[in-house]
Amino acid sequence: MSEAEGADFLFDTRGTGRELGAWVVSLACGGDGTFGFALGDGTVHLAKPGATEWQAVAAHDGAVLALCPDVKTGFLTGGDDGRFLRIAPDGAVTDIARLGAMKWVEHVAAHESGVRAAAVGKQLHLFDAKGEKLKTLTTPSAVAGIAFDGKGKRVAASHYNGASLWFVAAKEDKARLLEWKGSHTTIVISPDGTHVVTAMQENALHGWRLSDSQHMRMSGYPSKTKFLSFTARGKWLATSGADSIVIWPFFGGGPMGKAPTELAGGDGVLCSAVACHPQHEIVAAGFADGLVLLAEIASGRVVPVAAPGHGPVSALGWNASGSHLAFGTETGFAGIVDLSKR
Amino acid sequence: MSETAQIPVTVLTGYLGAGKTTLLNRILSENHGKKFAVVINEFGELGVDNDLVVDADEEVFEMNNGCICCTVRGDLIRIIGGLMKRRGKFDGIIVETTGLADPAPVAQTFFADEDVKRATRLDAIVTVVDAKNLPARLDDSKEAAEQIAFADIILLNKMDLVTEAEAAEVERRIRAINPYAEIRRSTKSEVPIDAVIGREAFDLKRILEREPEFLSGEDDHEHDSDVNSVSFEVSRPIDPERFNAWISQLLAQKGQDLLRTKGILYYANDDRRFAFQAVHMIADGDFIGPVKAGDPRRSKLVFIGRDLSRPVLRRGFEACQVDGTPSTAQGAADGHQA
Repeated sequence: MSEAEGADFLFDTRGTGRELGAWVVSLACGGDGTFGFALGDGTVHLAKPGATEWQAVAAHDGAVLALCPDVKTGFLTGGDDGRFLRIAPDGAVTDIARLGAMKWVEHVAAHESGVRAAAVGKQLHLFDAKGEKLKTLTTPSAVAGIAFDGKGKRVAASHYNGASLWFVAAKEDKARLLEWKGSHTTIVISPDGTHVVTAMQENALHGWRLSDSQHMRMSGYPSKTKFLSFTARGKWLATSGADSIVIWPFFGGGPMGKAPTELAGGDGVLCSAVACHPQHEIVAAGFADGLVLLAEIASGRVVPVAAPGHGPVSALGWNASGSHLAFGTETGFAGIVDLSKR
Repeated sequence: MSETAQIPVTVLTGYLGAGKTTLLNRILSENHGKKFAVVINEFGELGVDNDLVVDADEEVFEMNNGCICCTVRGDLIRIIGGLMKRRGKFDGIIVETTGLADPAPVAQTFFADEDVKRATRLDAIVTVVDAKNLPARLDDSKEAAEQIAFADIILLNKMDLVTEAEAAEVERRIRAINPYAEIRRSTKSEVPIDAVIGREAFDLKRILEREPEFLSGEDDHEHDSDVNSVSFEVSRPIDPERFNAWISQLLAQKGQDLLRTKGILYYANDDRRFAFQAVHMIADGDFIGPVKAGDPRRSKLVFIGRDLSRPVLRRGFEACQVDGTPSTAQGAADGHQA
């Protein structure tokens, strides 16, 4: 980033980091403010707010493939050992389900209303907060991403040729099929529950307006989009996969017929991760060279957070108040930056 | 630090009962100091304890890139993405396909998906065939011929069940389909591991390095399979623009029938050799180093596929030479259109 060159990086003065030694697959912040970093060696590293020591938890035999915050506190993880686990804030590991030998639990999700989800192949398993199985939903082909809506009433799964949407509490599990030819991967539901957007194999996004099933096609990416993140009130959708942060307007009739806005671009390095601030219209972005920055949508102003050099950014996320930003890289570096007023 | 070598991938194909699983077990249990991640299909039975075994669903899907035959394995894209997160824990990946599978989507996955391409390289397609039953399979299924057509290495297995005359006849039929594959005879899939692993058969530098095992020559020989191969050599330099135009159009129009295409080209006014390969419509090519002294500079192109018209393909390739267009004045080296 030209703006970032020679700049002071917040991480140097306000950050704490660790070389964890394996690919940071995902990160999340639990309800008590603890950050969890899930790694390709099967461990989850817990960083409690203010703690100087991070705790390493041996979770999966193999790689952790997915991690999300659990319903209240702690985390849920899925691994290539077929297990769907809960990790408590103190690091205690409990099995929620064993979903098959040689099967991969590739996606997990939870909603604070008390529902948990884990996807294995063409099956999406739903559990309640106590760990009881609620139901198993089936998709036409393997699940490639899952998302709950803002209220936890509906769950969506992406797959080949579209996405499926169910009501969690429905008596009859008939999916609303959102069809579009091709392979759909990452999926997100807008905070107000009106739109579903997926990233596709073909370096493009596809969206559906649920009120009338209107299609939205968002293309022009030089590589695959792996991160989709709506701003807090759903005005913008921030995306990775270009050499800038590409944000699509979801207001004033958009994104149909509207051009996206590009932030923090210009140096040809791919944006590999994005995460919108939980309150303000600010996007955190990680790049393939390891750079982490913040971009303010209204002004386009860029604030450098971490310098390049720690490996391609593979995970990025905020705590609930937005005072702390965490990032992780493919080469196993994990960092947390305190952005609170001092 | 982030610059890590691409992980080699071996694709294992062959009919049920040919000895694929025996070979896989052998590779995994032999004491060679290498660790493999194995992607098997749901009907496979693996007797070896390996913590890096993944059960795949063989989900084939079409890429939305305009070519109808461009199919890839969606499950492989996901699995390789997952395996890359455990980088460093294994030295290679072996993908076993079901007996009835078309090898094309597997091979195409390694050329069509950007993430897979960055993380891995296709090492070789190994096809295990049953020496006793192959003739019957070739007669009653199209997949058997396809698996041979795609192969870099063919394990002619169950040699203990056939006579030398039967074995020779099976080899003849294999070579009629694919004279470029290496045939290894075996009993109970017993071959040294380096015969099937680490072959770099898709490395552009090694394209057509092997001489065909059955020189078909220029004259049409008898075909007993609808899949066969044709090869051409030309002596005059190739005009890169003409070649690109011709091969692009050919792959676009006939890509469904062209299973594998390989070539080594000598361009006019260039001291480097250009290597080219394609799996159906998906092509890959690059310069592979300087022309060595004494190299006769004969450009060569091989097609393995269905309904190949030797005269049409030959005329097309010959016209890619700088002075190959019949009506071009002799001595003209710039290759203007006739």
